[in-house]
This record gives sequence, structure tokens and C-alpha cells, in this order.
Amino acid sequence: MKYTTPFLRLLPVIGAVVASVGCQESKTPDFRLNMVRMVSTETDGDYQQEIANVLDGLFGTPDQPIAPAGSGLDQAKLNLAAGPAWSDDAGVNHGLYRKHCVHCHGVTGDGRGPTARFLNPYPRDYRMGLFKFKSNAAADRPTDEDLHRILWNGAPGTSMPSFSLLASAEIEALVEYVKYLAIRGEVERALTSYVYDELGEDEDDEGRVYRIPLNPVDGEYAEDQREAIADIVADVSETWQAANESVVVPDEDAIPELDNRTAEERAASIVKGRELFYDKRANCYTCHGPTGLGDGQTTDYDMWTKEQLELIAATDSLADSVAEEREADDLDEDDLRELDRSEQLLSDREDVIATLYPIRNAIPRNLRAGVYRGGRRRIDIYWRIHQGIPGSPMPGVGATLSDEEIWNLVDYVLSLPYEAASIPQRALPVNAETLVN
Amino acid sequence: MIRIATFSLPMAIAAVAFAALADMPASAAEWGSIKGRFVFDGDVKAEPISITKDKEYCGNHKLVDETVVTGEKNGLANMFVYLYLKRGDSVDVHPDYEKSASEPAVLDNNECRFEPHAMTLWTKQPLEIRNSDPGIGHNTNAMKLTANPSFNEIIPNDKPAVKNFEKSEPAPSPFACNIHPWMSAYVLIRDNPYMAASAKDGTFEIKNVPAGKHEFVVWHEGKGNVRNLKLGKEKTDRKGRVEFEIKAGETLDLGEVKVTEKDLGL
Ligand code: HEC
Ligand code: HEC
Repeated sequence: MKYTTPFLRLLPVIGAVVASVGCQESKTPDFRLNMVRMVSTETDGDYQQEIANVLDGLFGTPDQPIAPAGSGLDQAKLNLAAGPAWSDDAGVNHGLYRKHCVHCHGVTGDGRGPTARFLNPYPRDYRMGLFKFKSNAAADRPTDEDLHRILWNGAPGTSMPSFSLLASAEIEALVEYVKYLAIRGEVERALTSYVYDELGEDEDDEGRVYRIPLNPVDGEYAEDQREAIADIVADVSETWQAANESVVVPDEDAIPELDNRTAEERAASIVKGRELFYDKRANCYTCHGPTGLGDGQTTDYDMWTKEQLELIAATDSLADSVAEEREADDLDEDDLRELDRSEQLLSDREDVIATLYPIRNAIPRNLRAGVYRGGRRRIDIYWRIHQGIPGSPMPGVGATLSDEEIWNLVDYVLSLPYEAASIPQRALPVNAETLVN
Repeated sequence: MIRIATFSLPMAIAAVAFAALADMPASAAEWGSIKGRFVFDGDVKAEPISITKDKEYCGNHKLVDETVVTGEKNGLANMFVYLYLKRGDSVDVHPDYEKSASEPAVLDNNECRFEPHAMTLWTKQPLEIRNSDPGIGHNTNAMKLTANPSFNEIIPNDKPAVKNFEKSEPAPSPFACNIHPWMSAYVLIRDNPYMAASAKDGTFEIKNVPAGKHEFVVWHEGKGNVRNLKLGKEKTDRKGRVEFEIKAGETLDLGEVKVTEKDLGL
């Protein structure tokens, strides 16, 4: 739809880099833009700067965070977690995130701290709002309790350490800060979509092409934009505030959390769980392999990686079409301008791709190792099976299996490390051998 | 049984929206349609898929890659055309659409592929996901939904999953099966019915659009938004959008729309 009144307005240039606020550190860390997202959505340099300005206006800086209106975030907790690490006279520790987390998860929460490249798995990138080890519906954001739990326990079998030695107020501040970085990252993603869907270039009545800028939030600018941005923040925050609504609570009269069953009862449950492990209703063996070693489906990727792979594929195809067009000799002025833009996009994308860490597959867990990243209590395993592991390929069976059946699976999973490898495997479905590829 | 405290709000909202629309003044009493046929100009052969799972069953179905599907007379299937709406904009819906609104749309796991491969879903319709492959385990992974709650669930033979959605997704969303990595489908979820995925012969038609000027998006899984595509007298822009004037009581026939390999990013 064409605009009748052109939206020409000089863009006030506001530096995304805010001057360092008096502290002894010489270099103030900055938030980084989500460049994979930027170049995937063809967000150009001008819009990138404008998005950075909006994010600064809404969320502040790593030293001076702002809890945006309506986000439900607690400013006092953010203050404690943000900024450089120091302790005040009363012994209160400040700058907790930078002290404990930043070398893995990065200043922006992009999972790209200085040591991240060398870790396997890579540290979590919070910016999709996507977390694996939760107690609620797969689609939903983690609850405070979920984040608290992962900080308390760490993720065994990975480099994510336990922070159980921190004071509980410190853990709470860190939980808040993780939410802050995640919400910020999600808003950034939504802003790129907003720019793509609603802004960009347009033509006025005389056919002149003009650009619709994204305005900073604190100015007296386009009302509709400010409303849209407020909506985006509200939409993202709402999903965090609703996290507690979808917590999966097993029925009281299902197999109790406190395992006070007889050995026979437990053994019977394990047999049923094993049955299900190979059953088509649960399909555990297709990924975890006929022996549970995690070797059934080893070529898949997690969602963070898939986004990178999509960018790589799109860039390959762009490179082909640019190469082809360079050969063409019948290009008119429009075509040439188009080619220019494509070449710019191509080189921007190639630069971003060069910064990516090596691509890794999402490998199903070796269930004989007895190490559970999301916690080893029965309820932890129950949640994993019920809702799947969001972001990883693992699907949930909560909608299709009964509570009792899920507990049977829990019992079987927890027994697998103790099942001697020499125990002959139960006769597998005819095609099981072909599953290990 | 488990207690998931999810809201059954979607249904309630749908019901309210339905009522609201039903007694809405017929402000757009005049309607027109748009149609055309996508024709593929190129020679992409559907590559056979190497079956890595459930070979005895899936291997019997001569599965091929469905990125580009052509039919009779080079018709190009699975091209999406849908109404572009700005944030907060809405559109009047012709009463005929309401009649079919409550019927579920079906996405079936059938012969180790999704049927259909490309589909549209109005938010008033529930989506029913079935598994018609006896004894074969499928999961449906729709974790890339952005406006609506995402999910990734096992779909058993005897119990279809029924999903309700509330909001428009900006583009068709990929649905996948992690157990059979070659399986993919695209579902376009919008909160209005003005959309189509071209049929096997390349034809599409969007009926009863309110008369007036509208922008439409053209989308294909190979490329996303299809830019610089000539449709009748118009051409899509960098974002795959193109404006048409729909005249009351008329059908705008775009005729044959030629699509090249390059248009699809191949
Ligand atoms: C030595 C590196 C390292 C440090 C330090 C570290 N993490 Fe992690 N963290 C990881 C890794 C690796 C993962 C991913 C685990 C996985 O995917 O299984 C992770 C995952 C997480 C998750 C995601 C859990 C989920 O359910 O998806 C959160 C939240 C988290 N870390 C918070 C923190 C916070 C807060 C701190 C500082 C107090 C911190 N981490 C310090 C490496 C680290
Ligand atoms: C589509 C493949 C797939 C299927 C089917 C699948 N899993 Fe998984 N599973 C995975 C992957 C991948 C991981 C590793 C996830 C991660 O940490 O990133 C995993 C991890 C796990 C874990 C480890 C959790 C933790 O805290 O470390 C358990 C337990 C598990 N799966 C059990 C099961 C059971 C039981 C079933 C059947 C109901 C099942 N899985 C079905 C792919 C699958």
C-alpha cells in the first residue's frame, strides 16, 4: 500500500555506544547486535543502528540496565547483577553476571563469551527465549524456579557450573538478569521482523522512493511506531509472566515422587518402561538407539544451529545468483542497483558466517551414562519426557502417554545405567538394526 | 491424568470473534476474486530421498524431495499467495467463509511424508495432525512458530493432535518430523481466510476478497518471499509483495505466471 504523505524526516543520529559511566574499568562492554538475525532478515546497516538505538532506549546498557515498562523485571535485582564486579562496604557483591557468567554466555547473553568456542555443548544463547530444562509446556518460557534450579545444580555433563555457593539473593538477581537478556534478545528479533514487515522503502505519490526510519523510543516521533514497540515489549514479557500457568504437575495418585515401592513393583515398572522405550507410541529408541547409547539419530541439529544453517544455505544460493547476474549483459539500471544490493548483502552475510563457531549435531543423550543435564530427580526426567527438550529435536509424549506410562519410562531410563551391557537386548522390532546409521 | 494449567482461551476467543463478525455491518458488501496459474520454467527433477529410517515401510513409497513440485503442463504447486496486512489492520470476511470455519484442517503423516506438503489454515479452524502410517512413529515439530505457541510432539496412530491457533504468522511455518528427517511441510496460519497454496496443476484462487486495493505476498519454500515476479501487469517487490485492485463482482485472472529456477533461489 502506498503512503499518500511521505514520511520524510531527518533521523537524529544517536550513538548506540553510550559513553562509559565513571568507573575504574577502561573499557565498558557493549551489547552486540544479533548479526545472524540481521543479515538473515536483510536488515541493512541503517536499520541495524536504529534497532540498536531503540534497544538502548528500552533496555539501557550492560552497566546501566533498564527494566522496560511492562516487562515485569525487577530493577533492583538487575542493578545488582549488572555492571562491573565489585563489593561494597557492607560486603554486598555487585556485577554478578560479569563475574560469574560472562566468559561463557557473553555480555549480550548470546552464548559467545571468550571461552564459548571451546566448549561442547556451547553455552546457551538466551536471545530466542528458548530454554531446555523446564517444568512447563514446551512452548513456554522457563519459570523462575526452573532458572533457579539450573543455576543451583548447573548442567551436569556440561561446563555449566553449579552456583549453589552463592547467596540466594545473588541467584535471584542472576535469574532476573538472564530473563532480562532473554527478553531483550526476543525484542530485538521482533524488531527486525517489524522493520521487515512494516518499514523499509516506499513510494510517494510522485513515485519517489523514500525510506521509513525506525525512530528512537524517547523522541516525539511517530506515535504508531511507539505503540508497536510497546506492544512488542508487552507481548514478549507476557510470555514470561505466564510461565507458571503451564507447569506440568503429575497427578498425586500416580507413582509418587518419593519412591517407596517394593523392589518387585519397581522392577515391574521398569519392564513396562522398557516395552514403551521401543514402542511406536514413544519412539525413544529411534533417537537414543536400540541400546540407549544415543546413537540412533545423530545427524539432526538444535534450533540455534538450524538458524545458522539456514543462513548458510540462503547465502550459498545468493552467491550463485549474484555470480550468474554478474555474467549477464542485459542489465538495466534497476537490475544493476538490485545487483549492488545483493552483492552488499552477500558480503555482509559472508562476514557474519565467518564468525560462527563450528557447526555441531544435536546428539541424543547416551542414557547408559547416567548423567542428566536437566537434573536427576524422577520429576526432572518426567518433565523431559512429558514435554520433550525444547530447542533440541526431542519431542514430548505428554499428550499421548498416560502419567503412569511416563513414570514407567522414568523408571526404565533411571535403570539403564545399571543394566549390564551383557544383558541380551529384548528382541527389537524387525527394522531396528537399520536405525543405527 | 496430569494437570496442565493451560488456558482453553483460544476457543473462547474464537467464539467471541465469531459472534462479533457475524453481526458486523456488511461494510464491504462488494467482493471480488483473484486467480491464476503458476507455471514452472525450468527443469528441476524431483530427487529421490535416501531413506534412513523405517526402510521396510517408508522405502516402499518412492519418496522424492518436495522442494519443487510440478504437475500437469508444468504447473507449479505449493506457491503461497496471501493477503498482506499491516500490524493492527483487519479485513472484512465474506460470510461464505464462516460456514467452513469450524471444520478442522488436516495435516497427515502419510506414507512417510506430510499430506499436504503445503497448506493454509485460518485461525478459526483447528488443525488436526494425524498419523496414518500403521506402526510407524512420527513426531511433528512446529517449534518455529513465532506468533503462536510452538510444539514438538509424538503423534500416535490412534490419537490425532488437535491444535488451535490465535494469531497470524508472518509467513508459512515449517513443520518437520525429527524421526524421519526428510519430512517437511509448510503451514500458513493467518487470522483471515484470504490465502492460497497453489494446487498440483499450479492453479490458485482467492475468492470473495473485499473490493479495493490490496497487497499480496508471494512465497515459496525455496526462496521465501519471491521477488521480482511478474504477475499479470504487476511485479512483486523485494519483499515479494504486489498490489492488485480487486473489483466488485469480478475475478482478476492473472493468467499464467511464469516462475524460473532463479525466482525460487535454485
Ligand atoms: C564455563 C561456562 C559457563 C559458565 C561460567 C556459565 N554457564 Fe550457563 N551454560 C553453560 C553451558 C555450556 C550451557 C548449556 C548446557 C546445555 O545445553 O545442556 C549453559 C546453560 C545455561 C542456561 C540454560 C538452561 C536451560 O534450561 O536451557 C542458563 C539459564 C545458564 N546457563 C545461566 C548461567 C548463569 C546465570 C551463569 C552465571 C551465574 C552461567 N550460566 C555460567 C556454560 C556456562
Ligand atoms: C527425535 C529424537 C529423540 C527422541 C524420539 C527422543 N529423544 Fe531423548 N533426547 C534427544 C536428544 C537430541 C537429547 C539431548 C538434548 C540436549 O540436551 O540437547 C535427548 C535427551 C534425553 C535425555 C537426557 C535429559 C537430561 O536431563 O540430560 C533423556 C532422559 C531422554 N532424552 C529420554 C528420552 C525418552 C525416554 C524418550 C522416549 C519417550 C526420548 N528421549 C525420545 C532426542 C530424542
